[in-house]
Amino acid sequence: MKFSKLILKNILRNKRRTLLTISSLVVSLFLIITLATILTEFSRGSEQANPLRLVTRHAVSLGFVLPAAHQQRIASVPGVKQVMPFSWFGGIYKDEKNFFANFAVDASKMRDILTELKMSDGEWQSFINDRQGAVVGQKLVKLYGFSLGQRITLRSPIYDRSVEFIVRGICTGGDEKTLFFHHDYINELVPAWAKDKVSTFSILANSAADVPRISQAVDSLFINTDAPTKTESEREFAMSFETMMGGVKQFMYGIMAAITFSVLLVMGNTMAMTVRERTREVGMLKALGFQRGTIARLFVGEALLVTTLGALIGIGGALLLYKSVDLSLYVPNVQSFVPTGRTLLSAFGLAIFVGIISVIYSAYRVSGMTIAEALRSTE
Amino acid sequence: MALPIKYNFRNIVVRKSSTLATAFTIGLTVGVYLMVMSLARGIDLTLTSSGEPLNLIVLREGSTAELNSTVSRENLNDLIYLDGVSREGDQPLAAPETVTLIYKARKGMSQGSNVVIRGVGPMSTKLRSGFRTIAGRTFQPGLTEAIVSKRISERFQGLDLGDKFRIQTTDYTVVGFFDAGGKAFESEIWVDGNSLASSTKRDSFSSVLLRTKDRTTLESLAKRISDDQRLHLKAVPEREFYEAQQGIASGLLKGLAIFIAFIMSVGAGFAGMNTMYAAVARRTKEIGTLRVLGFSRLSILAAFVLESVAIAVVGVGIGILLALPLNFVSTGTSNFATFSEIAFNFRVTPDLMLSALIFGAGIGFLGSLLPSIRASRFRIVDALRAS
Repeated sequence: MKFSKLILKNILRNKRRTLLTISSLVVSLFLIITLATILTEFSRGSEQANPLRLVTRHAVSLGFVLPAAHQQRIASVPGVKQVMPFSWFGGIYKDEKNFFANFAVDASKMRDILTELKMSDGEWQSFINDRQGAVVGQKLVKLYGFSLGQRITLRSPIYDRSVEFIVRGICTGGDEKTLFFHHDYINELVPAWAKDKVSTFSILANSAADVPRISQAVDSLFINTDAPTKTESEREFAMSFETMMGGVKQFMYGIMAAITFSVLLVMGNTMAMTVRERTREVGMLKALGFQRGTIARLFVGEALLVTTLGALIGIGGALLLYKSVDLSLYVPNVQSFVPTGRTLLSAFGLAIFVGIISVIYSAYRVSGMTIAEALRSTE
Repeated sequence: MALPIKYNFRNIVVRKSSTLATAFTIGLTVGVYLMVMSLARGIDLTLTSSGEPLNLIVLREGSTAELNSTVSRENLNDLIYLDGVSREGDQPLAAPETVTLIYKARKGMSQGSNVVIRGVGPMSTKLRSGFRTIAGRTFQPGLTEAIVSKRISERFQGLDLGDKFRIQTTDYTVVGFFDAGGKAFESEIWVDGNSLASSTKRDSFSSVLLRTKDRTTLESLAKRISDDQRLHLKAVPEREFYEAQQGIASGLLKGLAIFIAFIMSVGAGFAGMNTMYAAVARRTKEIGTLRVLGFSRLSILAAFVLESVAIAVVGVGIGILLALPLNFVSTGTSNFATFSEIAFNFRVTPDLMLSALIFGAGIGFLGSLLPSIRASRFRIVDALRAS
């Protein structure tokens, strides 16, 4: 630490170079943090799944619907606390660009099952009392200016129907870009083939231990019917959507690795130039009696100072930007776009790693020179 | 008078580690850009090549994809006898088809994706060029047999020759593999349309494919079907139908590619500036000498810019070499328009490489501008006196 002043003076000697190097680090770390945040968003569904919930869908795929009558039989399975329809409506608000999820549910059970949703008692009650009522997430309010009492028309290409709803509640928590409405209401409006049909059921178990048992028991109830089911924990169900993306995840890791490598090159190049230019100075320091280790530590300290500054600005910038601009409003299927603590910590760790690796060879080489060699250097 | 190219070349070689580090930084930037763009390009090429120029696809009015469309049997009879539909002998070239999804686990994973199952009619293969059975045989009409795209069988579990999969209560046996020259239906499983109708208890079709006589009938027929108030159908040229599906997946990828490339290029540009500033500083005396010899400020400027662009072009070469092995590598993702798997290849096409070259050279040019201007502005006396 007694050399900290010297290190600081050293990085200020070539201010332009330090500034350029730090800027390069800042943008790269910002990019890595952004990509890592996209990746965590990909797996948010499975990471934050409620361990007590299960989803039942048609065994073949979500392209097939289940009879609504399955509900009573599922409810009778031991361990099942609550079960309700949870049907994808695919409604479009005005234009296809305004994509948000909308589901038909059982209003009286929704509060018990979707425990993450927060809404006032009054709003819950007025939603339950109005067959035409709908609950919208807080972010939809921000995006489209929905307000209580407003009439919203959604057109569903799946059911070939336009349906009007009245906003009765605004909820927070969970995916705030979703709209919920009554299954009973929509059931009367859909075409004949979709009447009394449900795309999935949402089940709440009494305890986590019941979950695997329920999944087996439900599926065996319907195995030989026209509508066999597949019942999974909410986590598995979410993962099935995540694996649809295919190799995208690995691809993103590859890109992040490439960026890391390029940061390493940038930093390595800067430190190599810095060390080379100071070769004669190293000879001088050695002549004054400085130990090899001390000289190497001076250079490592310098590299670490530069990368730490870069990391702090990059991390701070990303945090500031993503806290003030909520990207989740504009990117479909993303619930929030704020880097996690783990991401930021990893980015910092990465910067330290780059700082050390980038200078190790140069520092080792130059500090190992003899006084004469170093002083005779022509750099 | 311009400085000889040899001067630049020798300078680049003398500082080889610094040159290489800079070139690699630009190479990684260009490489990442190319890789993401080649993914988007692969999806685009698959979807744009999928439609036949004279085919019309008929869907329910208001539906956005085959999956949420229905065409009744009565509608089919109205459609196939329309004027303008091509015929083979006395048979109209029309294929009623039914599309549904089956969820399959990916190889080596417990989860997977939806794969399209298409119930096809006798004319379906005739209406699509490039279709061929490459292993086993095709299904027999009326039996519960299936043929699977080779690519899909390679990506998902339980779709090998002889394997069975279940739709509702019916088991289908895989009897053959097909390929289709990289078109979208190479991501599908095909079965006999009548068998699928009976196992899904569905009496209507998802879509009807029609071959029209020529370009003008294609348009007039499309208009006629879409305008017919009794039918409640819409007819779209098959080309446009597939092209419209590109949107989300490849649009997101292109946006991502440009975003990443832009930020990485800023980083690489700063690094390039560092390298060039160091080069200028180290050669201050040399620059003074060159000026004394009569080389103008402009030729000094040009020499440094040229040197930086040359390093960047080496970088582009590295980037292309990094991305090229991905060309034609098969991959797959979810087609957001249909929520089903679409298999495609990475495509590193010449025009992408050209855009990478312009992009990389641009980084080199912009990064060198300030240092080169600095070099050209040295006063001769000061430059010569530099240590």
